[in-house]
Amino acid sequence: MHHVIIGNGVAGIEAAIALRRRHEDARITLVSEESEHFFSRTALMYILAGQLTHRDTEPYERDLYARMGFTRVRARAIGVDPAARSVRLAGDLAPLSYDRLLIASGSRPRPAPWPGGDLPGIGTFVTHQDLAWLERELHGGPGRGGAAPAADAHLSASTDDSPYRQRPVARTLRGSPPQNPMVIGGGLIGIEVIETMLAAGLKPRFVIREEFFWPMAIDAAESAWIQERLREHGVDVLTATQIERFEGDGAVERAVLDSGQTVPCDLCVVAIGVMPNTDWLADSGIERDPGGGIVVGPDLRSSAPGVYAAGDCASVTWFNGSRRPEQLWYTSRDQGRVAAAAMSGDDVAYKRGHWYNSAKLIDIEYTTAGLVDFGYDDLWSWFHEERGAVRSTTRIVCRPGEGDQARVVGFNMLGRRWDHTVLIRWIAERRSLSWVLDHLSEARFDTELVPPLRIPPEARRAPDAAAR
Amino acid sequence: MYLQGQNGLMATWREGFRSRALSAWIIAALMVGFYIDLYWFDHFQPLAEAVGLRNKWYLYGALYCLFMVGGAVYHLRRHGNSRYNQARIATNVGVQVLLAFLLPFVMPLFGGKEFYFSYFWPLKYDLLLPDTIWQLPLYLAIYGLVGSLLLAPVMAFFFGKRWYCSWVCGCGGLANTYGDPWRHLTSTSTRAWRFEQVAIHVVLGLVVFMTGVMGIKALIGHDHPGFVVFADHTKSFYGFLVGSVLSGVVGTGLYPLLGPRVWCRNFCPMAALLGLVQKLGRFRIAVKDDMCISCGNCSAYCEMGIDVRSYAQSNQSFTRAACVGCGMCAHVCPRGVLRLENRFDAQGDKDKQHIVVLDF
Ligand SMILES: Cc1cc2nc3c(=O)[nH]c(=O)nc-3n(C[C@H](O)[C@H](O)[C@H](O)COP(=O)(O)OP(=O)(O)OC[C@H]3O[C@@H](n4cnc5c(N)ncnc54)[C@H](O)[C@@H]3O)c2cc1C
Ligand code: SF4
Repeated sequence: MHHVIIGNGVAGIEAAIALRRRHEDARITLVSEESEHFFSRTALMYILAGQLTHRDTEPYERDLYARMGFTRVRARAIGVDPAARSVRLAGDLAPLSYDRLLIASGSRPRPAPWPGGDLPGIGTFVTHQDLAWLERELHGGPGRGGAAPAADAHLSASTDDSPYRQRPVARTLRGSPPQNPMVIGGGLIGIEVIETMLAAGLKPRFVIREEFFWPMAIDAAESAWIQERLREHGVDVLTATQIERFEGDGAVERAVLDSGQTVPCDLCVVAIGVMPNTDWLADSGIERDPGGGIVVGPDLRSSAPGVYAAGDCASVTWFNGSRRPEQLWYTSRDQGRVAAAAMSGDDVAYKRGHWYNSAKLIDIEYTTAGLVDFGYDDLWSWFHEERGAVRSTTRIVCRPGEGDQARVVGFNMLGRRWDHTVLIRWIAERRSLSWVLDHLSEARFDTELVPPLRIPPEARRAPDAAAR
Repeated sequence: MYLQGQNGLMATWREGFRSRALSAWIIAALMVGFYIDLYWFDHFQPLAEAVGLRNKWYLYGALYCLFMVGGAVYHLRRHGNSRYNQARIATNVGVQVLLAFLLPFVMPLFGGKEFYFSYFWPLKYDLLLPDTIWQLPLYLAIYGLVGSLLLAPVMAFFFGKRWYCSWVCGCGGLANTYGDPWRHLTSTSTRAWRFEQVAIHVVLGLVVFMTGVMGIKALIGHDHPGFVVFADHTKSFYGFLVGSVLSGVVGTGLYPLLGPRVWCRNFCPMAALLGLVQKLGRFRIAVKDDMCISCGNCSAYCEMGIDVRSYAQSNQSFTRAACVGCGMCAHVCPRGVLRLENRFDAQGDKDKQHIVVLDF
């Protein structure tokens, strides 16, 4: 039995490890264009800043492949022929035949859609190659921790439209470091890049299309604090702003905004989202959703026999019946493991639990659990802002119900650490707001000696219906 | 405002002196040179007398405090947004300046004998050696015995060895202040871990052996002059190897190349002993389930070379004998996955309460 896995990311490697545990002698081949080793994509910003080395971001020791008997192919897959059960590779590599195929090709960054968007000095921040580009733009090269091993080994077996190609560096063309960096896109990757630019001593401009930073996850009051913090650090935050076009002679020099204003810009990171990295499957006859995600059933099987998909590239069914990929680290890991079980013939189903996540927004920590979505009109929030030794905001989202007997369905917390497993348990137990407020300290996960959150009695009252 | 997230770490691998550039080698060479001169030559004696510090050991003590205070300022500028770090570093520097420098310096002025209240056996092995005990005033002899055999282990049982290694001890204090720029250099490799396991327990064995030999000497020394010579040789050999070479020259001199806890991790018998107690005790690092993004910050900034991520990404709360409880893994974790805690009540997740990773 030959298992071929396209992708050496978290979904791919976790599937490979799970397959090896099941099948001691099976042939397992991992195809990856991007890197020699599995690494934590979530840690890219730390390599960029100089906080971590490449090796620090590799969750397993480098001898994993030898120990587990995985064959690695460092090349770009350019198509699948489900009838012949083979994968075509770029360069002059022979096609790979498989018995079971797992596609775990992740996401690719959404490119800049504006005129001039392909000028040198404009790029994205998703892949190792993006990292190498941005290291050169920001710092002139990698830190003393070094570059990725065999960074260019894939170039002989790649294609021009690959997301794993390094962009030309404006700093080299111009001969001077950037002075007016810009980041476009008010989301997580955007703010991570802002943080590394600040650490590099620059004062970036943050261009956000929406009315406030990260409306997908936090509300206006919460966002106001983040924006305040960004401005304190010297970031020029422009909300409700769009780009018209970029201009420059050989490399980017200016951005024209929708207000008509022209701002200087000699480095621009576009962080306006990612999309399933599946263009290479266009003529393979594998069903994809309108966004490009590979349509899979509960067992992560695609429309083609023997072909499975997991991670960022798989379009799965959500709790409310909608279908789209889940672009998260832990869901990719879980999907990889479920796919391995399904490929081994188990009767398994990938089940989505309650939504949760955490992040760090510059230096403010964020934890969320359950439903905090604003698409549900009947939900309302209990909100408390703490401004003492600790600054934090606590938002508890409730279903209709009278006063503090309302049932809690979600949490959005900034500035403190919380144990999401406890919050999720309360949601599952259908706890009321007053019960949750009484027990909130049980979900604390602050580091030691941080003073506990005290909610003054007058703040405990739920807003009356009119005020919601 | 207390923030729990990391800051001040970002430029680590872009600053030469923190990433084994020439400047790091120069700092290491200067420190090694300093220790060699201090232990085996006398160039610092006149200087000590000139500044009124009586002898070179007090001069060393003064310099030690100076480096700790300077390092504490550096540390708190980087990680002072954590309340745990503020309390820990302030206590540690305070203990060092008061109990390990000022008090021992002034005690002889009042006719007493100098005494270091912040050190216990087996780190300060004298405290259990009959030769020393006879010479100490009774209350100090009792303090030494009770502190070493009762207080230190009991505290380690309830709070982990951190109460000593990261709040009180001067060696740990220097590592966490002057040594802070290099905490990421401690190796997480399996080889380094194997070395640690052997080395630290060998030193612990040595100190127990030496203490035993000195005890026997006190009992039978009158009749066996040969044994007296053997015992005294054992003691001075231990003092040379462990006290001077391993704790000073290698342990502190090589911070900029090998990380700041070379001594504590590989050689300190006190750390070994309290580590064994810690494994049985109440201290642990709790891991929040399924929240780790495997970024590697916790492992990289662990000064004891513990691969924290391997536990975090497999949802395992854990207690490692080596952990000195500096709290930096929890501090640098960008997803708030980790927390140091002492379990006094058994409520909560019962299964996880009893996970003990046996690895010493
Ligand atoms: C900057 C950044 C920060 C993030 N932070 C977080 C976070 O904090 N929390 C969180 O939950 N998620 C975060 N994410 C998202 C998370 O990283 C992804 O969800 C996760 O990495 C997806 O894993 P994957 O295995 O599906 O794909 P990927 O990690 O994208 O791996 C794709 C693999 O496929 C290979 N590949 C792709 N196409 C081909 C081809 N044609 N031929 C050969 N090989 C191919 C690549 O070489 C690569 O090995 C972040 C993402 C980024 C970019
Ligand atoms: S525990 Fe935190 S610091 Fe460690 S790898 Fe996981 S997310 Fe990173």
